Amino acid sequence: MKRREFLVHLISEISSFILQGQPRKMVISLHQEADGIHLAVIDDRQRSDAEIKEIERSLNAARRPELAGYYGEMAGHDLLGSARLNLVGWQIKHADVMKTPEGGVMLNLWIGGEAFEYHKFTLDEPSAREK
Amino acid sequence: MPYTKNPEVLLATRDRVLFRFVAATITLFLLFGILADGPSSALEGFLRLQTSPTRLLSDFTVMEGVGASFVNAACVGLAGLLVLRFNKISFSGPTVAAIFTMIGFALFGKTLLNCIPIILGVSIAALIVGKQPKEYVLIAMFGTALGPVISFVAFEVGFPPFLALPMSMLIGIVTGIILPPLAITMLHLHQGYSLYNVGLTAGFIGLFAASIPSAGGMDISTIEQWGEVSNPWLIAIIPALSLIAIFIALFYYGRRSWKEFAAIMRLSGRLPSDFCELEGQGGALLNAGILGLAYSAFVAIIGAPFNGPVIGGLMTVVGFGLFGKHPRNVSPIFLGVLAAVLIFGKSLTESWVVLAFLFGTALAPLAGEFGFVVGVLAGFLHLVVVERTGAWHGGMNLYNNGFAGGLTATLIVSVIEWFKTNERK
Repeated sequence: MKRREFLVHLISEISSFILQGQPRKMVISLHQEADGIHLAVIDDRQRSDAEIKEIERSLNAARRPELAGYYGEMAGHDLLGSARLNLVGWQIKHADVMKTPEGGVMLNLWIGGEAFEYHKFTLDEPSAREK
Repeated sequence: MPYTKNPEVLLATRDRVLFRFVAATITLFLLFGILADGPSSALEGFLRLQTSPTRLLSDFTVMEGVGASFVNAACVGLAGLLVLRFNKISFSGPTVAAIFTMIGFALFGKTLLNCIPIILGVSIAALIVGKQPKEYVLIAMFGTALGPVISFVAFEVGFPPFLALPMSMLIGIVTGIILPPLAITMLHLHQGYSLYNVGLTAGFIGLFAASIPSAGGMDISTIEQWGEVSNPWLIAIIPALSLIAIFIALFYYGRRSWKEFAAIMRLSGRLPSDFCELEGQGGALLNAGILGLAYSAFVAIIGAPFNGPVIGGLMTVVGFGLFGKHPRNVSPIFLGVLAAVLIFGKSLTESWVVLAFLFGTALAPLAGEFGFVVGVLAGFLHLVVVERTGAWHGGMNLYNNGFAGGLTATLIVSVIEWFKTNERK
């Protein structure tokens, strides 16, 4: 219940951010295991390098438990005004942002506890997961 | 100080710089307290404050003098600092705002005795739901707004002495336990557009806390102890702190502080806007110092007294200068309050009016996000509401302006959201 609710709010906040750019397409992919989650969100809107850097900076904000536990509860709930990626960034392990061949961006988010090693948790590297 | 983008170094530097600012603040209060009335008088008054009624509006500078009030403020600030260090929370915009709020309100309502049970209760609430106490530390620190509930039960209800203190501690802990779920719910009402969210929460709880003794026949009308005579120590403390903030900003960060300050003014200030993280602590401290000087000048110009509640208000202006407030977003609120004062013929120096000017800045994010007109409207509505809300909770909630501000923000945000959701494109 706790994890499901958390995912719903996370997806909601990220979706709100993507939809603010009025994309023609948006794809959300979720892969979850017992020890962690990988969320990928793709759109087709072109962004500058500076914008991509800013997104990555917000999503990789240092973990702030004193903010995540309280203000982080607004993520995905309160959608008036601009989407706030740092609300998400405080609560996730790691994020990557890259341009897609189609001209949009792909946001990769990894969520897990202290023991979760995000670089071993990706569908593109099955050999790493098998180890 | 050479600029780096290394996040670890940035965090450590920010923590060190802000710690020095907070430590300097606590030291200044302690020093001024001892110099104002002498150490023994200050200490005796401080001890008497712990066992005094503390409902709004109890100006400690009137009750026990400047010395005792400042020593109490320093001790409460130190308690806040220790809570952060114990939970291994680094200094940042919101934590500095929380400590400054605790210090400011320790001049007219918070004491060591009435803060601790609430902090304990909030920590227990975290453990109940499987979280770490650090995740609710801000709720715990701001939640000390309900300190008067503890003092009320201990020293006003009339329980036998052997029962009064344990009862008050127990009720304080229970109050702390219910604070987190309510605080989180209240956030959704105004969506972060009122900075004093715990004020709205505490006002809500205060409605019930006041209703119960009232139903039992107790008189819980609000108190009015408002110092009218300014004292050099009271006049000097906020300008001194503001200048310290500006000095730290320019000493450690030089010209970069001005660039960061300009960038901060482009932000809306909506919760949670940690200016230190978003733009830099140089700009944030510069912003805080400028706001402190500006509002101190305003109080002096209108001839209002520098007393406990006013200093408390100024402390929240400075503290939230790192966490939501800046000149661009507070100005419309100020003008809205002023408009209401002039239209309704209120006195500029009446206690609740002065406090509305200072604490009404909680609504700054509305101006920051939705513009000048909405900001003026928010300030206007805030003044007319805050005159009434104190009586609703019997002074049990120290953040009365936070309560009124939360109600005002909820009203405005609801209308804007409904309109935006349904407007035809």
